[in-house]
Amino acid sequence: VSRKLLPWFALVPVVAAGLVVLVARSGPDDSAPARAARLERQLACPECTGESVADSNAVSARVIREQIRTLIAEGRSDADIRAHFAARFGDRVLLTPANRGIGLVAWVVPIVVLLVGGAGLAAALRRWSRTPRLRATPEDEAVVAAAREQAP
Amino acid sequence: MPLRARWIASMVAVLLVALGVVLAVQKRNEPSVPRLVQQHAPAPAFELTTLDGTTLDNRALAGKAYVVNFFNSWCIPCHQELPALKAFYEEHRGERDFAMIGIVRDDEEGAIREYVAREKIGWHVALGGAARAAVDFGTTGQPETFVVAPDGVAVCGAIGPSTHEALNVWLQAARNGQVCT
Repeated sequence: VSRKLLPWFALVPVVAAGLVVLVARSGPDDSAPARAARLERQLACPECTGESVADSNAVSARVIREQIRTLIAEGRSDADIRAHFAARFGDRVLLTPANRGIGLVAWVVPIVVLLVGGAGLAAALRRWSRTPRLRATPEDEAVVAAAREQAP
Repeated sequence: MPLRARWIASMVAVLLVALGVVLAVQKRNEPSVPRLVQQHAPAPAFELTTLDGTTLDNRALAGKAYVVNFFNSWCIPCHQELPALKAFYEEHRGERDFAMIGIVRDDEEGAIREYVAREKIGWHVALGGAARAAVDFGTTGQPETFVVAPDGVAVCGAIGPSTHEALNVWLQAARNGQVCT
């Protein structure tokens, strides 16, 4: 192995360790308090306007916070808990849009906009790259030739 | 504007108009019937403590048609429906297969006791366990009324003040094994 490549090989485990740490730390915290806090932010206070269960001090929000903790302690998944409250109050209690019906629009539109925007940008770049560069005219060539002749 | 750019702009405009139409035709009306009643779902289990210290749960009410009314002493629409509730209760209080419970959504005990005494409310009024029941019934405000059939299904009800006539229709439906549409 060439000595020039040795530093690159030494870098591989460092990069791998960094990636492992990054992936491990970027995953959601699955502790009960973290899950409860996350669910409280994902559920709307049913009697409020534009407030999550986490933000509201309404009586229903206080009860829902207690019930979230109870349901987590019972071993229910986050999806189960969201479904539990959606069954009582409807989908409007879910602050993240549903992946069906009109809720799909919220998920699909950004993807479509990204795809269309990317395609538009690619087309524009392609067109710009095709634009012919300025070519030297015979007059330009004559000026350059004259300059060369005069050069020592 | 070149033909191609005009075509793209037209497509974007058509897509935006289509999106606007889809959003505009979505139902934006607030429901007037509680979700539990819309689904004709079983009433949730509850255990309540009334103002006189009695424990009241849904098992004790099995086999009866009963009315559950969520209210607060400070709620103006609750005051408006009170005469209807009183007249309805007076008509049915002696019937063995009938019960009526007022559940306090969000109020102070002192204010509720004073309100119940002043208005001479004769039916059970529950404060203990009330907030939990309000969530389990899926209430989003007050007043909200549910009529539960003898088999435990919430067959009729309303969000907002109920009328005397409606309460009688709902009770009859509950007793006849019917549901409100």
